[in-house]
Parts: sequence; C-alpha cells; structure tokens
Amino acid sequence: MDITIQHGVFVIFTLVTLGSALLVVTVRNLFHAALYLMLCLFGVAGLFALLTAPLLAGFQVVIYIGAIAILIIFAIMLTPQVTRVIKTTNAQWPVAIVVAVLFFVMILSVVSPLMDELGVDDWNADFTQEDADRVPDSTLTDFGESLVSRDRFVLPFEIASIMLMAALIGAVLVVSPDAILRRDESQPPPSDTSVSADTGASGD
Amino acid sequence: MFEVPSLSDLNIAATLPVMSLVLGTCILLLADLFVPQERKQLTAWLAVAGLGVSLALSLLSLGDVTRFGDGDEAFAGMFVADTFTDAVNVIALVTALLGVMVAYNYLERTGTQRGEYYVLLLFTTAGVMFMGAAGDLVVVFVALELLSIPLYILSGFRRPQEASEESAMKYFLLGAFASGFLVYGIALIYGATGTTGLHDIWIAVDDIVAGDATSQYLLLIGAGLMLVGLGFKVAAVPFHMWTPDVYQGAPTSVVAYMSVAAKVGGFAALLRVLAAGMPHFVLDAGAPAAWQDTVWLVAVLTMLLGNLVAIVQNDLKRLLAYSSIAHAGYVLLAVAAAGSAGLADESAQAVVIYMMAYAFTNVGAFSVVIAVEKDDASNTGVTSMRGLARSQPWLAAAMALFMLSLTGIPLTAGFVGKWFVFKAAISADLFFAVVVGAVTSLISAYYYLRIVWYMYFEEGDGEAVIPWPLAAAISIAAVGTLFLGVMPYLLTDMAREITLAFGG
Amino acid sequence: MLSDYAPAAALLILAVGMSFVILFMSRLLGPYRPTARKLAPYESGMQPYGPAIRRIPVKFYRVAVLFILFDIEIIFFLPWAVIFRDLGVYGLVVMGMFFFILAVGFLYEWKVGGLEWE
Repeated sequence: MDITIQHGVFVIFTLVTLGSALLVVTVRNLFHAALYLMLCLFGVAGLFALLTAPLLAGFQVVIYIGAIAILIIFAIMLTPQVTRVIKTTNAQWPVAIVVAVLFFVMILSVVSPLMDELGVDDWNADFTQEDADRVPDSTLTDFGESLVSRDRFVLPFEIASIMLMAALIGAVLVVSPDAILRRDESQPPPSDTSVSADTGASGD
Repeated sequence: MFEVPSLSDLNIAATLPVMSLVLGTCILLLADLFVPQERKQLTAWLAVAGLGVSLALSLLSLGDVTRFGDGDEAFAGMFVADTFTDAVNVIALVTALLGVMVAYNYLERTGTQRGEYYVLLLFTTAGVMFMGAAGDLVVVFVALELLSIPLYILSGFRRPQEASEESAMKYFLLGAFASGFLVYGIALIYGATGTTGLHDIWIAVDDIVAGDATSQYLLLIGAGLMLVGLGFKVAAVPFHMWTPDVYQGAPTSVVAYMSVAAKVGGFAALLRVLAAGMPHFVLDAGAPAAWQDTVWLVAVLTMLLGNLVAIVQNDLKRLLAYSSIAHAGYVLLAVAAAGSAGLADESAQAVVIYMMAYAFTNVGAFSVVIAVEKDDASNTGVTSMRGLARSQPWLAAAMALFMLSLTGIPLTAGFVGKWFVFKAAISADLFFAVVVGAVTSLISAYYYLRIVWYMYFEEGDGEAVIPWPLAAAISIAAVGTLFLGVMPYLLTDMAREITLAFGG
Repeated sequence: MLSDYAPAAALLILAVGMSFVILFMSRLLGPYRPTARKLAPYESGMQPYGPAIRRIPVKFYRVAVLFILFDIEIIFFLPWAVIFRDLGVYGLVVMGMFFFILAVGFLYEWKVGGLEWE
C-alpha cells in the first residue's frame, strides 16, 4: 500500500474533526466549546474538499464557520453565566456513549459491505482520483442549474425562500423583547435596556 | 446547454391551492404593516380571507369540480397533486381557520396581539400542505422546516411569560435534533436507492428487494431514521417527551392549532414516504413491508403510554397533550396497515378520516380550555371545569361532546375515525395492536369522562369568557364533530376517492 | 487533484504562521527589560478589572441572525449568478420569485424597525 498525500491530509482532517468534536462535548467552558465547534466544522469542510465537493467545502466555511458558529458565540455571550465555567452536569453520559457506539456499529455494519459492493475492495485505495472523474467539472454550475431545473430542485428552492422568510420574521420577533414589552402595558419596561435579554422572563 | 422548461412543463396550476396561500401570506405580511395596533382584527380577517380562498380552491379540487393543471404531478414529480393532497389541504385549512378564530380574542386579552401571529400560522399551514403534496424527500424536509419554524416561534409567542419561552426553547432544541435524524434518514435512503424522488424510490425498491441484503438494510435504517424525525413531529412514543411541556407552556390558541396541524403534516409525510414510496419493500417475499413491525410497535407503545399517563394528569392542557400522544398512536396503526400489500389506499383513507374527525374534536376541546383560561394563563386545571354545566350549559355540552368524541363513543366523529383505523389494521392482520387500541380506548374513557363528571356533578363557579369568534369556532367544531358522527357517509364517500399517487 | 487546493493550503499556513510570528517576533527581536509598571495591560492607564468576555446586548444577536439569513441567500445567488446567461429569462424569473419572497421579509423587517440600532 502506498501512502499518498491524500492519506496524510485525510488523517489530519479526521483527527481535527473527531478531536475537536470530542472537546466540544467534554470541555467545561461553554465559550471554548463554541470555538472547538468551529474547528470541528473546519475539519468537516476539509473532508468535503477531499471528497471532491469543493463547493460544499466553501459553503461549510461561509455558512457554518462564518455565520452559524459566530451566532452560537453571540448566543453564549448573551447569557449571564458567560464568564462562569460551567460544569457539565449530564449524569447520563454512560448511556449516551452506549447509544452512540451502538448507532455507530449499526451504520458501520451496513456501510462496510457496501464498500465491497461498490468495488472498493481495498480500504486504502486511492479514493480521490477515480472518483474525481465522475464528478462534474464544475460543481458550481451544476449546482446552479439544479436549483432552477424543473425536474430537480426548483420547488424546494422556492419553499426554502418561504422558510427563510418565516425565520426572518421569527428572528425579528424573538430578538426584540422591548417591542413586545412596550405593547404589553401590564409589564414594566426593563430598567436596563442593554441587558434586556432575560428581563422579559423575570417579569412574573 | 440548459433547457428552459415551459409553464405547462412545470404544471404550476396544480399547485394553485398552496401557492395562493403563500401569496396571500406575503400580502398579509405587508398589509399588516399598515394596520394600526388597535385594529388588528383586520389582520385576522385578512388571514381568514386568505385561508378561505385556498380552502375554496382545495374543495373545488377535492370535490372534483375542477382539477387544476393537467395530471397529478407538478415540477416533474416534486409536487404530487392527487386526491390525498386535496384532503390534507382541506384538513389543514379548516384547522387553520379554526385556529385564527380561537386566537383573536385570546391574544387580545393576554396582551400578545400581533399581526405576525396570523402570518406565521398561515406559513405553518403552507408547510403542512407542502408536506401532504411532497413527491420528493427534499421537499419533505424543506416543508417540515417550513412547518416547524413558525411553530417554534408561536410556542414562545407569549414572550414575557417564562413557561411560554421555556416551551419554545424545548420544542426548538428537540425539533432541530429530530430534523437531524430526518436528514440522516434521507441521506441513507439516497445512498440505498440513488434518488430522492419518491416515485423513483418506488421503482428502485423492486431492485433492492431482488438484490443483496446491504442495500436493504441501508434502506431500512434510512426509513427508520425518517420515522424518528417524523415520529417526533406527530408525538409518537419514544419521541414524545416534549409534548406535555410544550403544550402546557405554549399559548393555548397555538396548542389548539398545532396539536392538529403538526400531526396532519407528519402523518401525511409518513404516508408519502412509507405507504407511497416503499409499500413493497419486503425482506422476505410475500411478507408485509419491512417497516410495518416497527410502526405498529411504536403505535402500541404510543397508545399505551399516552392513555395511561393521561389518567394521572390534573392540568387540562397536559391531559390533552397526553391524549394527543395517544391519538397519534391510533393514526400510526393505520400507517402500519399500509405495509400490507394493497392496503396503502385504504390506510390513507383511514388516516384522512381520522385526522378530519380529530381536527374538529381536538381544536374544539382546546377552545373550551381557552374559554376557561384566565388572562394570566392560570386556571387550566381539571378542577376549573367544575360547575361549568350550570354557568355555561352550552359550553359544557360542547365539551362533553368533544370528550365523548375523543373517547370514540358512537355517533361522534371520533368513533368513525377509530372505526376506519381499526378496520384498516384488521385487514392488515394487526390483531394484537387492534386489541391494544380497543382496550386503551376503554381506559381513555376514564379521564375523558372525569372532565364531564367535573362539569356536571361538582359544584364550582365555572367561569368562562366566550367572545363571539371563539363561540363560533366551538360551534363549528361541535357541529363538525356531531355531523361526521351522525352522517359519516359524506366524509367517507369523499375519502373513498383518495388514492396515493403510486401506492398499492 | 489535491494540488488544486495548494493556494488555499498556502493561505492557511501563511495565516496561521503569521499570527504566531506576530505574537513572538517583538519578543524575539525587540529589547525586553520588564518592570511591574510596563507589564500592566495599559501602561499608566486605568487598572482593568473584570473578565475580558462580557455579556453583550441582545441587539448584536439580531444582527447575527439576520446576517445568517442573508448569508444563505447569497449562497443561493452565487451558483445562479455564475451561469445566469445560460439560464436566460427563465432563470431570472425563478430567482426573481426567490428574491421577491425574501424582499417581502426584508421590507417587513425594515418597517418594523428590525434594522434600527436604538
């Protein structure tokens, strides 16, 4: 078996993904967990790139690392306990591990025979070069076409816009507690507007 | 080179009922911006108008007066516009209409009157309709999100109140988790069949059944994971944990709507995926579908747990939450029946009849809870029904009717629903599950009739606020419940036309 | 194949390497004669207190949420924009519908005051 550069890169990205994923759930500081999550998402982006899906890798970086992870960090910084190191008080982790391992074994037992079926007889085969030929030259244009082709994803694409609009309304509604409180005269307005995140809840 | 499709290729006309609702919702959102805060009833009326137009179109289509578009597929099979779609549309829209009616005064007296409420409610309805019409797993997923996201927000609509916020948070976190399972399932099904289109899956299943075991297991796990995701939405038992907390904390008007709407969407998608997409997915030749055992087992667990835990509940909203879990079990029984050869259509009809009956009954029951609930969301205990028969005889009579219907007493809609569900299950030889269903129905009589007992035989002040839109909603629900119970032929004759596009 | 990513890898290594270089260069090259006063975070300034990470106003969160939504919108625009000449008027109409629906949401947000800071 010859070790190609792909193997090295694959091992690195796998270790980054798995290691940081483990740290996300075990580390005690919530803020650090969010940072490790970003690293984990980056590792996944690398794996996408190895799977000859550069577009997905780009989306992963732009949306997940660039926006969603930032949002999670913002959410953590909104909480009053942001500076406190939080003890992970999940007493059910042994059960969780058992379930996770069982699920992993189940998936693995199904997927590994599939490898033989697809002709991947050598697990260490150079998996990128042959598969690369099967991938369209530009996944970007292919993706663009599939978004508007009638027999592909034009309907989900339009439904997605409706969904995004619903989310937009939700974002405006949820994140403007002042607007709701102002309308509800029975509730006194929050005294400190700069930390109005939880004053709504303390109203009763 | 890209080939530009023509309008008739797309067959957009077939999507008219749901598209008109989406367009109406966009207009409603813009119109609401110019409706002053003290005149929000205008928004509610506009929402009713939007729903009414869509309902009229769906009824025209269901009653076979006109079919929109040609053929029952649009967007090359992405959207299925068959009679089942029409039936789901009608149920979803009727529920939404009742939901708007019960909400109006409730929002006003709890100080949460905002136009966005109606907009989000209409969006959810569009999500339900898309789920019923899904011809592709990607559409199932996007529609599920369209159904869920507004519901998360609506659960937390009573913002300053902690219980409402908590329920929104719980619903959101668990719902997002369940969506993850759904996507995982879709990915595995794609891995097994090489497609996400339900019709293509239907074709591919034949090869898989004839082929090797690996793809079969991949498909089986994929279907199982989708069952997890959709089972969460319909509150089936291992995935029911959120239901009581969310139903108790969320505004009652939202619960009245979502207890029915989320179920309609979830069951419609389950039928599309399991009964239409892979009814002939068998591991041994001649056996029922591979997923049937799992589904009826889940159904049995759901019926048992829902009905048994409901007995000890002392809060009306919690009690009705467990009752709604139990009813998910009965509908799942019909879904399980679809796994036997040739029963897909019959079970789809049973689900439609059951959900129609459940829509009237359950929205009605929650409307009565809205009537007795105080402005600060208190007074929803079972004891708040005390003395209602004396102070509000009509309200008590309606509530008694809803309780009897939920139990499944003859001459109510609930009986008709259960009859058809059990009939489908017996045709599929699911005798054990049917026995469990019958026994748990008997058990459920205890806690439903306890409410009737409180209303008629115990002393209490029985205070209730019944503004006219709420009274109208309760009346419609009561008339519907009674009407379907006494004259079920109208509904069942219509339901007999229902076929899943490529089922059987 | 993998060499396509060489520029990206180079950029990554450069970025990570640069941050380390900047961190340690002044220590390595510059003179280092510390006193207690020099070691204070702000020399001759106020004594800082409290943790560096603080609670932030909820308004930032709203901006972040809206950023995500429009970010996803942009992601959908990108592959369409690359081939929009091939797609012609049809592509324009499809994207127009997508955009119209989101524009309605945007209008709503604007009118409701979701974009205002105060």
